[in-house]
Formats: sequence, structure tokens, C-alpha cells
Amino acid sequence: MGGGGGSTESGEPEFQIAPMIDVLLVLLIFFMSITTSEIIKVDKEIKLPVAPDAKKKDKKTEGHGEGMLNIRWDGKGKATFLVDGHTYDQMDALMELLQKKKNASPDYRVIIRADKNLPAVEIQKAMGVLGNAGIDNIAFSALNQE
Amino acid sequence: MKRYEEAESVNMGFQIAPMIDVVFVIMLFFMVMAGAAQVEHELKTSLPGVTAVQPETSDMPDEITIIVAEDGVVTMNEEEFDNVADKKRIKSMPDLTDALTRLKKDADARGGKVLVTLQTEEQAKYERVIDVLNSLAKARIENVTFTVGNEDQ
Repeated sequence: MGGGGGSTESGEPEFQIAPMIDVLLVLLIFFMSITTSEIIKVDKEIKLPVAPDAKKKDKKTEGHGEGMLNIRWDGKGKATFLVDGHTYDQMDALMELLQKKKNASPDYRVIIRADKNLPAVEIQKAMGVLGNAGIDNIAFSALNQE
Repeated sequence: MKRYEEAESVNMGFQIAPMIDVVFVIMLFFMVMAGAAQVEHELKTSLPGVTAVQPETSDMPDEITIIVAEDGVVTMNEEEFDNVADKKRIKSMPDLTDALTRLKKDADARGGKVLVTLQTEEQAKYERVIDVLNSLAKARIENVTFTVGNEDQ
């Protein structure tokens, strides 16, 4: 049997190294991709809370018409609101920006990424701004595990 | 002289065995890391007042008030759930989740709705609010309203 491979002339099966390397590399690439693609790109100064039963992020809505509202907490009584890397000290300026984004795309949604030690009153402030900007679709970001 | 001859006769071609060793080690590393990877999830909600008014149903919805205190104590309809001192229960809140799941099932059986008002004290931690929202997500309750202190949103 010419070209069959995998066996010696005596008929005994022989261990083939080349297909094994193929399989190994495919597995390696698979595990590399699932670990690296899922690594979250969040603000390192924010410690997200944990919610194991929260839903996975919807990939369809990601990218278009979605904004991130990061809320940092310094632990001394000051919360910092950030959108797209810019700090907003004035809630009016933040509301104007969000209003513009909402007008540009009516399906605009905001994901709140807040520090787990943040007092609830700051979250309420953020939701007040979102409500005034006319944004009703909001989500809270959390990690799947510690 | 002997040593030199030996070196010359060594085959310097591609060595497959150490390569497989390395690939195995890298693969094991990524396999372990894949299980421990932190993924960002989201708890969806919608703000009241801005959303379109839903047509009123003939049934009155079940209204529940969950209060999150500054010290992390969670009370539902004036009954305390999942003692804060119990560290096993503090994150997953099984009692609250069970109670909410029962309420949701009852409401579903009657064709009604469950409306939850989450009332948080001003200095209550956001983490605790997320714990409660997680329980609500587990019980598949989506109508959640937020208030802080005694002021309504």
C-alpha cells in the first residue's frame, strides 16, 4: 500500500509526529485565543464588583451605539466620572455629551463601570444624569468571578 | 581532540522532542488560564420614567421593596435576608434569591408582574447593590427601580 503511511513495512503502526504537532498547535492557538480575547479592557483604577449570574455581554450591540461610563472612587470621598477617557467634574457637561450621543443614535446605551466601594449615592447621581440625557437603556458592569 | 570530533558529528537539525515539550507547557498554561479568566458581564436594567409607558394590565403588580443599608444588611418587605456575618452567604445571598424566585414563579403563574424597588442608603456600597441585582437576575426579575435614601428617583 503505497502512500498510506503510519505503518512500517512489517505492518506495525508507527507513531506519527507531524499530525500530532498539527493538533497540538491548533489546541495551543485555541486556548491562546480564548484567554487573550476575553481579557477585559477596563480602567485599572476601578475594582469591578462580582456578579456570577449576570449575562454575558451582547456582542451584537458592542461597538455601535454603546458608551462606557467609568466611575472611580478614591476611598476618601471623591468620585470621578469618565467617558471615553475624559474626566467630567461638572455633571452638566457630562449630560450635554450624553445627550448629543443619544441624539446621534436613538438606540444609544450606557454601561456603568463603577468601583465596588462606591457609595450608592454616586450611582444615583450617574443615573440621574443618564435619565436627564434621555438614556433609558443602561447596564451595570461586573466580573464573572473574583 | 575526541570532544571536537563528537561535536562535529552531532546533528544540528530541528529537534522535535524539546519543541513538543515546550508546546505542551505553553498549552497547559493557557488551558489553566482559560478557566481563571475574568470576563466582564452586565446586569441590564432600564430607567423608569424615560421608557415608554406600558399598557396597564388588569392585575396589580406585586410590589416589593428591597432596602440595602449602609452596613450591608438587606431587607425585603421589612424582613432581613442573609445575615451579613455569614461570610458564605454574603455574596451569593441564597435566601433572598430563593424568596425572589418563589415570588417570580407565583407572579408568572398568575400572569402578573413583579416590581422591585431597590432602596439604598446613601453610603451603602455599590458592591452590595450589585449582589442584590445579581439575585434579581438569577430570579429573572427585570423590573427594578432605584431610589437612594427616602427620595424617589
